Amino acid sequence: MAARPRLVAALAARLRDLDAAEDAFGEAMEACLALDNPPDRLEGWLMTVARRKAVDAIRKEAARARASEAAALIDEGGQDMGDVIELPEAIPDERLRLIFICCHPAIGIEARTALALKVVCGLPVSAIARVFLTSEPAMFQRITRAKTKVREAGIAFELPERRHWGERLEAVLLTIELAYTAAYQDAAGEIDPELSAEIERLAAMIADLLPEEPEALALASLVMLARSREAARLDEIGAMIPLSKQDPSRWDFEAIEQARTWMDRAACLERSGPYQIMAAIQLTHARRAFDGETDWRAILSLYDVLMQMRPGPMVALNRALALAQVKGPQPAIEVLSTLPIERLRNARPLHVANAHLLTCLGDREAAATALDEALAMNPPRAERLFLERCRIELAQG
Amino acid sequence: MQYMLLINEDESIYEGEEGAKKMEATLAGHMALAQKWAGKGIAFSGERLKPGSTATTIKWDNGSHALHDGPFAETHEELGGFYIIDVDSLDDALEWAKQIPVPGKGAVEVRPVWPMEG
Repeated sequence: MAARPRLVAALAARLRDLDAAEDAFGEAMEACLALDNPPDRLEGWLMTVARRKAVDAIRKEAARARASEAAALIDEGGQDMGDVIELPEAIPDERLRLIFICCHPAIGIEARTALALKVVCGLPVSAIARVFLTSEPAMFQRITRAKTKVREAGIAFELPERRHWGERLEAVLLTIELAYTAAYQDAAGEIDPELSAEIERLAAMIADLLPEEPEALALASLVMLARSREAARLDEIGAMIPLSKQDPSRWDFEAIEQARTWMDRAACLERSGPYQIMAAIQLTHARRAFDGETDWRAILSLYDVLMQMRPGPMVALNRALALAQVKGPQPAIEVLSTLPIERLRNARPLHVANAHLLTCLGDREAAATALDEALAMNPPRAERLFLERCRIELAQG
Repeated sequence: MQYMLLINEDESIYEGEEGAKKMEATLAGHMALAQKWAGKGIAFSGERLKPGSTATTIKWDNGSHALHDGPFAETHEELGGFYIIDVDSLDDALEWAKQIPVPGKGAVEVRPVWPMEG
């Protein structure tokens, strides 16, 4: 349900309670699924029902003093169906407001992004736990604690003044990055398929609202560049096509142009950062559509910079693949062998990279072993189909 | 919403001649803050406390108690005073709490006051 972030944000803004907003939305969805025919104007319908469910829930707690207060807040202005139907799209920054609230500095840094991913992006707790390398019960507890803090400590539900955005920006951008990564790599099909489009809109909105923040512009570029390749990343049977084998004529050039415009603006601000380097790498890949070849030397030097700014095993792995293009597979394999495999969130990319490099070296047996190891790690369907094909090609020589 | 601002400070920096000057400046800061609140119509109350060495703590353990000569927590910072202010949100409370003068090491804890029911 792509409208979820908008609707939950609009509800939360009125209820000033993240739990109540999520509950009301969930109940409205249930009520909708129970209908024989879906309502014509789904979003407006859901919003209206959710609002009623919330009022019901508040009335049930009528003994509590704040109930009448909150009910009055919702009924304020006597909104009728017409107002409500127009609501979610008319106030787009409700979503942004909600992300900024979740990323409030009074919430523990380890909980901010998790809370935003849950409430605004609707990611399941299991998926959030995976992203943060923790157990589902621990993540559930962390998110519950954060929601309680928002409600009980009286964290403001207004979008903070611009001068306070800075201290929240890092967590806000991380939320967008992780939500997009989760949507992009969704293996189990448990994440809303429309989430990536929604995240693209949010990233673009943040870039528009913060045109002086180069990292916000760069993150929007990064998301846009990934989106530009969506039509080109799967073949006719749904197998993954790696970036280097994609047909550039199937890329979305309008999206690439938008990404480039944001990056030009970011460059003018002369404050570098990891998202700018990441976007520059992806923009260099996009240039293959115009130059006919990939400038791997430029990509390798960008990875060198990224390793300084934001070192990590995945960055090191991707740098090694760029190194292979510049200096050949042997030095790249040597780099990969030094990677701390236990620190990789998922060792599968390492096996895939090894398989690729060993194939380049002509060591078919070792390449096949690496592929088998990757295939044993339950890859998502598109990747599995791709790896299986590589495996067959190896066997056929 | 009411918030209690608990001011925990290292008392030792107010010792000696230099310390007395610091104390004077700190008190002036508190006076200025109180005037700002009064000017903005923000309801507040608050007190300065005597040093931690004057504290007596009743320690409870499942129904039995013992008196302890000293404050509850043995740390470098002592609870030196508090305010209760009535503002709209935690954000406002934090903004005000940041303006409380703490010349040495210390911490200001901001806690929502449990609202009276009905």
